[in-house]
Amino acid sequence: MTSTIFQASDLANQKRVDFLSQARAGRARLRDKDGTSLVMLPESHLLWLETMAQWSSVHLRLEGVIRRATLPTVSELGDLAWLRAFDIDDLTEFVEELHEALVVSNADQNPSRLEECVNAWRVTARQLEDPLRRSVLLGAPSISDFDDAPRPDASLPDDEEP
Amino acid sequence: MSSAYDPSQPARRPGGKPGQQPSYRVLVHKKFKRHYDQLVDKVGIQQAQQFWDHLANNPGEPSAVASITILRGKAGKPWAENWSRVHHYELTSKARADYAYCDVFTTGPGDEPHRVVSILTINYGSH
Repeated sequence: MTSTIFQASDLANQKRVDFLSQARAGRARLRDKDGTSLVMLPESHLLWLETMAQWSSVHLRLEGVIRRATLPTVSELGDLAWLRAFDIDDLTEFVEELHEALVVSNADQNPSRLEECVNAWRVTARQLEDPLRRSVLLGAPSISDFDDAPRPDASLPDDEEP
Repeated sequence: MSSAYDPSQPARRPGGKPGQQPSYRVLVHKKFKRHYDQLVDKVGIQQAQQFWDHLANNPGEPSAVASITILRGKAGKPWAENWSRVHHYELTSKARADYAYCDVFTTGPGDEPHRVVSILTINYGSH
C-alpha cells in the first residue's frame, strides 16, 4: 500500500490520475485544506467493510442471547425480528453459521458468503411464517402424505400434441 | 404433411413433451395438491414445465433458470435416512416451492430402490 498523501489541489492537476489509480488499487489518501484526512476506495470494498461491521455486531448480540438459553422477545430482536420463526436450537445453528461466514468473508474480502448465509436463513424464516408450510416443513411426512405430481401441460387434447 | 402455417392448427405446447425419460418420480404433498394444480395458471406453462423437468431429472443440481436455496435449521434437514436436505426453488418472484429427493427410495423390504422427489410446499405471492 502506498503512503502518498495527496492534496485537494492535486485533484485539479495531473496527479489526479495517480490518485484515482491508487483508489482503484484499494486506497488513496487525501489531506483536505482544513487538515481532514480523506480516503477514497472502491465501492465494493466499502460495501464489504459495512457488511462485516453490521453482521459482526449482530453476531455479538446473538451470542449473548444464545448464552441465556431462552428465546429472545421480538423487541429484543429488533431489526432481526424475522428470526422469531426459529427455536433456540435453530438460533444457535444460525449463530454458528454466521460466525463461519464472517471468517470466510473477512478472509476473502468479499461479503458474498455472508450474504448467502443470511439470505438462506431469511428465506427459511419466510417459509416458516405460514402455519401450513410450517406444519409440513417441521413435521415428519411419510410417503402416504404425497400424491403423484404429473408434468404440467397446456391441457391440449392428445391428438394435438406435437 | 405441409410445413406451411395452418391457422386452424393450435400452437405447439410450450416446452412440449419431456425430451428424456424422467429419472425421478415426482410427488406433491397432499396439503399442497391444490396449489400444484394452480401452477400453470400462476406461472405459465413454460416455467411450470421447467420446474417439473428440473425435479424429474436433476433435483440436486443448480438450475439455469431459477434460484435454489437450501433451507436452514430444522426446516432444511432431511426428514428420513437417504433423503436430501430441503431445497427452496423460486419459480418466479411470486411463486416458490420446497422439495426434497431420495435416490434409493423403497416402500418396503424387497422393493427395488428408485428415485423419488417430493414437493413439500408451494406458495404464491410476493414476500
